[in-house]
Amino acid sequence: MDGIELEILWSNLISTVSDQARALQRIAFSPVVREAGDLAAALFDAHGRMIAQAVTGTPGHINSLAAAGQHFVRAHAPETLRPGDVLITNDPWLSAGHFFDITVFTPVFHHDRLIAFFGSTIHHTDIGGYGVGAGARDVHEEGLWLPILKLYEAGLPNETLHSIIRRNVRTPDEVFGDLAAQVSSARVGTERLIALLDRHGLTDIEALSEEIINRSERATRDAIRQLQPGTYRGESHFDVPGGSIVSLKSSVTIDNEAGEILIDFAGSSEASPIGINVTINYTAAYSTFAIRSVLNPDLPNNYGSLLPIKVSVPPGSILNCQYPSPVNARHVVGMYVPMPILKALYHVAPERVLAEGAGAVWTIQIQGKDLAGRPFTSSMFNYSGGMGARKSKDGPAATCYPTGIAAVPIEVLEATIPIEFTVKELRLGSGGAGAQRGGDGQTIGFRMRTRDQWLLNAVTSRTKHVAEGLDGGLPGAPGRYRINEHSVSEARKITMAPDDEVLLETPGGGGYGAPPSGPATTPPRVVGK
Amino acid sequence: MTGFAVAVDIGGTFTDIVLRHNDGRTWVDKTLTTHGDLLEGFFRGLDGVLADAGVAPQSIDDVVVHATTVVTNAVIERKGPATALLVTKGFRDILYIRDEHRYDMFDAQIEFHEPLVPRASTFGIDERTIADGTIAKTVDRDEIAALAEDLRERGINSTAVCLLNAYRNPTNERQIRDILAELAPDLYVSLSSEVAPQIREYQRCSTTVINAYTMPISEPYLRRLSELLGARGIQQRPLIMLSNGGVIGAEVAGRFPVRMIESGPAAGALVASHYAELLGLDRLMSFDMGGTTAKACLIQDRQPLVTGTFEVDRRYRFKSGSGLPIIVPCIDMIEIGAGGGSIATVDDLGLLKVGPESAGSEPGPVCYGRGGHQPTVTDADLVLGLLDAANFLGGDMRLDRAGAEQAIARLATKLGASLEETALGIYRVVGESMASAARAHATDRGVDYRGMPVLAFGGAGPVHACYVAELLQSDRIIYPPLASVLSAFGTLVTPLRLDLARGALGRLAALDWAEIGELIDEMETEGHRALADAGCPSAAVRLTYGTDMRYLGQQNEVSVDFARSPVLSRDTATMREAFEAAYESQYGLRLSDSEVEVVTWRVNAHGPSASRERRVDLAAQPGAPKAERMVLFAAPAEPVPVYDRAALAAGQEIAGPAIIEERETTIVLQKNWLAQVDVTGCIIASRPSAKGT
Repeated sequence: MDGIELEILWSNLISTVSDQARALQRIAFSPVVREAGDLAAALFDAHGRMIAQAVTGTPGHINSLAAAGQHFVRAHAPETLRPGDVLITNDPWLSAGHFFDITVFTPVFHHDRLIAFFGSTIHHTDIGGYGVGAGARDVHEEGLWLPILKLYEAGLPNETLHSIIRRNVRTPDEVFGDLAAQVSSARVGTERLIALLDRHGLTDIEALSEEIINRSERATRDAIRQLQPGTYRGESHFDVPGGSIVSLKSSVTIDNEAGEILIDFAGSSEASPIGINVTINYTAAYSTFAIRSVLNPDLPNNYGSLLPIKVSVPPGSILNCQYPSPVNARHVVGMYVPMPILKALYHVAPERVLAEGAGAVWTIQIQGKDLAGRPFTSSMFNYSGGMGARKSKDGPAATCYPTGIAAVPIEVLEATIPIEFTVKELRLGSGGAGAQRGGDGQTIGFRMRTRDQWLLNAVTSRTKHVAEGLDGGLPGAPGRYRINEHSVSEARKITMAPDDEVLLETPGGGGYGAPPSGPATTPPRVVGK
Repeated sequence: MTGFAVAVDIGGTFTDIVLRHNDGRTWVDKTLTTHGDLLEGFFRGLDGVLADAGVAPQSIDDVVVHATTVVTNAVIERKGPATALLVTKGFRDILYIRDEHRYDMFDAQIEFHEPLVPRASTFGIDERTIADGTIAKTVDRDEIAALAEDLRERGINSTAVCLLNAYRNPTNERQIRDILAELAPDLYVSLSSEVAPQIREYQRCSTTVINAYTMPISEPYLRRLSELLGARGIQQRPLIMLSNGGVIGAEVAGRFPVRMIESGPAAGALVASHYAELLGLDRLMSFDMGGTTAKACLIQDRQPLVTGTFEVDRRYRFKSGSGLPIIVPCIDMIEIGAGGGSIATVDDLGLLKVGPESAGSEPGPVCYGRGGHQPTVTDADLVLGLLDAANFLGGDMRLDRAGAEQAIARLATKLGASLEETALGIYRVVGESMASAARAHATDRGVDYRGMPVLAFGGAGPVHACYVAELLQSDRIIYPPLASVLSAFGTLVTPLRLDLARGALGRLAALDWAEIGELIDEMETEGHRALADAGCPSAAVRLTYGTDMRYLGQQNEVSVDFARSPVLSRDTATMREAFEAAYESQYGLRLSDSEVEVVTWRVNAHGPSASRERRVDLAAQPGAPKAERMVLFAAPAEPVPVYDRAALAAGQEIAGPAIIEERETTIVLQKNWLAQVDVTGCIIASRPSAKGT
C-alpha cells in the first residue's frame, strides 16, 4: 500500500472514530463526559488490536481502552460472536480502572465475516455502591461489577443483565441512555467503515491494519533509537486525602537495540486502604501517554505505536493494586503517574518535558437542603492548580496536567445548587520561581445558602508535598483546604454547619531553571503586567 | 427614485464593491484593502464603480450595505486601546482562569492567549447579585467615583462591566454605567447584561471585553463612514453586516462591535441561503475554498445554521478552544486548513499529508514564481491540467508549470510514486480532508449531510467541488455567478435582522412567566428600536422567538424556534414537544422521563426580506469549446474540452469531463457529471444517477 492510498484510508478511519466520539460526548448525561470529554472511542481489528482512536478524551481512558480490546477477544473468541452481539464490562482490572467507566465493544460484520470492533468507554453517572469518593473499604463496596458479558445477543437485549443493572444503579435512566448512546455510536461507525471499504473495493481491514500497525511500530522504535540509551530515574511524592504520602518511583530504560522503552515502578508505595489505588492497565495508560507526548506526539495512537513501550509494576503496589483493593478515586494517584516519568526523561529530552504540577484536580461534591428545605445532591465539580513550567515557557495558571478538565462555571453552579462563591482568583506567587515560573494555583471560597447541616466531600491533594521544580527551578506552594480558617485533611464526607465557610487553595506548579537573580530576591511575577 | 444600491465588503486582502440597479443591472469592482485607513479603499472602490457605471453618488438611494473586517483585525492584531474590566470583587482573574480547560490533551508545550485586558486594569467591585436575581449588595457610588478618577488618570477610555449573575438582573451593572456616564461622560461602557446577557461568566465576560476593546475603534469608524457618505451626497445611512447573517443600522453596530466579528464570512453564507431560495433547495452546503482555508456552512430550510457560541483569534488556527470565546449569534461555519496554498509533505510514516501549513499568497505556490518552493494544492492542480498556466486570472498571471512539476517530483521520489500519482494524491488527500471536516461539522450538529447539494465558490472551490461532493454522497453542485465578489453580493440580499438573547435558567414545569414576559418585552422593544433606526417601519418588523432548552442535568442546549411568543400561550407542553422533536432529530432519542429546563430566551427581529433580482447576461447561442487540453483525472491523462463561462447560453448542457474557465476560478467537471447553465446564471452540475437515469 503506498503512502497516498494509506493516508486516505487511515485518515478516514480516524475521522470515523472521532465522529463517533463527538456524537457520544454531545449526547452523554454524565457531566464529566460532556464537560471534560471523559471518554474514549476506538476501532479495533479482528484480533482486538486498536488501529484508530478518536483524537479526544483523556489519556487514562484512551490507552486503557486499547488494552481492553485484548481482554475482550480473549474472553470471546471472534469466531464465537454473531452479528448483533454487543459486549460490555466495567472490570477495573480489564478496562479503565474503576466501576464508573463502562466499556462497550461491538463486533463489525461485513459479508458475514467479523472484520473489526468498535469500542467506547465513558464515565457513567452512577454505578451503585459508595458513590463518588475514596471512602469504600474494598472494591465491592464501590458498586456494581460487570465482568465481560453480552449486553446484546444477536441484536436482542440480554434481559437478565439489563434488569441487574437497572436495579443496581441510582440513575437507571441516565445509565441506559448513555449505554444506548455507546451502542448506537458503534452502529454509526460501522456504516461509515463499510461505506469506506466499498468505496475502495476492500472486503476487510486485515492488510490495512497490518500496514498501520507496522508503520506506527517502526516509527516509534525509530524515535526511541534517537534518544540517548540508558536507564534514567525520576520520583514524585505527594500527599493524598487523609494525609498519607505516596511515592512514585520510576526507572525508564531506553533500549536502543530493540527500540523499546521499559518503565519500571519498583519501589513505589504499597496499595492504600482507601480507594485511590490504580490498576496496572490504568498505570500503563498514563505511562504510555507520558512517553508518547515527549517522544512523538503527532503519531496516531494505536496498537503499533504503543507496543514498544512496556510497563512493569510489582503486584500489590499502589500502581498495580490487587483484588480487593478499592479503586474508585484512582485518578487521585493515576494523574501523578506521568510526573516521575517526565523527570526521568528530563535527562534525555529536557526541552520536551515539564516540571511537576499540581497533579490531580480537586473534586467536590455537596449534599444538603436549600432554604426551602428541599434536598439536593450536586454533581461532582472540580478545580485545577497550576501546571509545571517548561524549558522555554511558564506553566499555565489554574490549568491541569495530565488531564485537562474544564471547571463548571460559577453561575451554573449557583443556579443549580444553593451555593454562593465568595472568591475565585489566582494565588499569585504560588507557582514556583524559576527561569520559567510554575503556573499559579487558585483560591476558591464558598458557603451554602441553607438552614440545615450539609455534607461536603472534597478530594484534595498536594497539601503538604509540593510540586518540585526542574533544573534549579523552585517548588510551587502547597495546597490548603480550610473550613472556617481551620485546616482540614480528611478523605471522607464531612458534616458541615449551615454557615460554615470553605476555602480551597490549589497548589502551584514547579518552576523550570534557576530563578534569574536568586530565589530569595525574586518577587513573584505578576501576570499580565 | 433612481434605484441604485451599493455593497462594500472589506476583507483581509481585497475590498469588493457591487453596484446594482433595481432593474437588475450590476457593476462590480475589486481593489486592494487599505489597512492604514480602511475607508480609503472603501471610497476608492466606490468612486471607481460609480465612474464605471456612469452614475452620480446621489443616485444611490436604495441601500448602502457594508461588511468589514475592522473589528476582527483590531482583536487579532491587538490594536484596541487600553481597556478596563470591572468585575465582582473576588473574581478578578476571570479572564486568566478561563474555564480551566486545556484544549489539547497531548501538547505539553500548550500556550494560551494573554487576555485583552490585563489583571492590572481589572477591578473588583464590592457588590453582589445572587443566582435568583436578588441584589445581596448594592453598588457604592463612592467606590465607582474613585474608580472613574483612576481610569481617567490611566488614560483608559473604554471599560467592560461583567458582574456575577448580571445575566439574571442587570441592576448593579446599570447603576455602574449611570454613575460613570455622569462622572466620566467620554468613557465607552460595555455592560455584559446588554452585550451578551447569558449564563456562564467566562464566556460572557470574554464577549463583553471584546466589545469594550473594539468599541473605541468601531464607533468612530462607522460615524466617519456615515459622514463621508453624506459628504458625497449619499443620503442613505449605511447598514452593517453582522455575524448572525443580518444587517443593522450603523448606530447599533457601533455599540455592539462584537456582533460584527464574522461580518464578511457571514455574507458569504447568506449568498448560499439566497441561492437556496432562488433555486428552491431546502438544504445546501456552501463550500468556499480560497488560498489558505476552506469554509463550509450548512443551509437548512433555506437558512444558514446559526450558532450561539464561537471563537475569534485561535492561538492555533484550527484548534477549537484555543481562541477567545464569543457568545453572540453567528453563522455556524467550519474553517478548514485546506486551500490552494496548502503545502504537501511526506511525514515520518511515509504518508502524504496536505496542510494545514499554507504558502498563502506570499510567497504562494511554487507555480506563482514568487519564491515559494514547497509544493501546494495549486501546483498539483496545475500539473494535473485542471488549471491553465497561460489563463490564470484571465492570463494576467503566468504560472510556472515546470517549477510545480519539479517540486512535486521531489515528493514523488519520497513516496516512491510517479509525478502524476503524487499530484493526483495531493488532489485526493485535500479533498478527503475537506470532506472529513464537513462530515464532522455536520455530525456535531446532528445534520445528515448525505445528498446535500453543494454551492462551490472561492478561487479553488469549483476546482475541487466534484471530488468533495462525491465523498459527501452529494449529486448536485451549484456554481454561482459573480464568484469573485460573492460576499459583497451577499450583503445586498441580506435582510435587516437583530438577534437578541437573555439567560434565565428555569425548569419548564415551573417557569416564572411574569419574569419571562418582561424579558421578552424588553427584547421586543430593543428589536423594534434597532430596526427603526435602520429605516424599517415598526409595522414591517417580524418577530420570531426561540428558546435554548436541555434535559435537566445535561450541558448541551438545543435551540427551538417559535413563530409566536411563548408567553402568549404559556403552553409548556408544546414547548416540550418542540424541544424533544429537535433533540430527537439531533441525537436520535427522547428521554421522556427527564425534566426539561430553559437556559436562554431569544427574540429575533427581522425586516422585510431583501428580494433583489439580478439580471444575468448570458450568451444568446451555446458556446463551443475554446480549446482542448490534457487533464489527468485518473491515469492516463485524457483530452478534455475547455469552455469559457462567459460564452455559455442559458440551458446549455456540458457533459463531464470538461473544464469551464472564468477569470477568478475554474470549474472542473469530473466524469459522470452533467452541467447545465441555469437562467439565474448558476451552472448546476448533477450526476445522472440523481436524475433517475
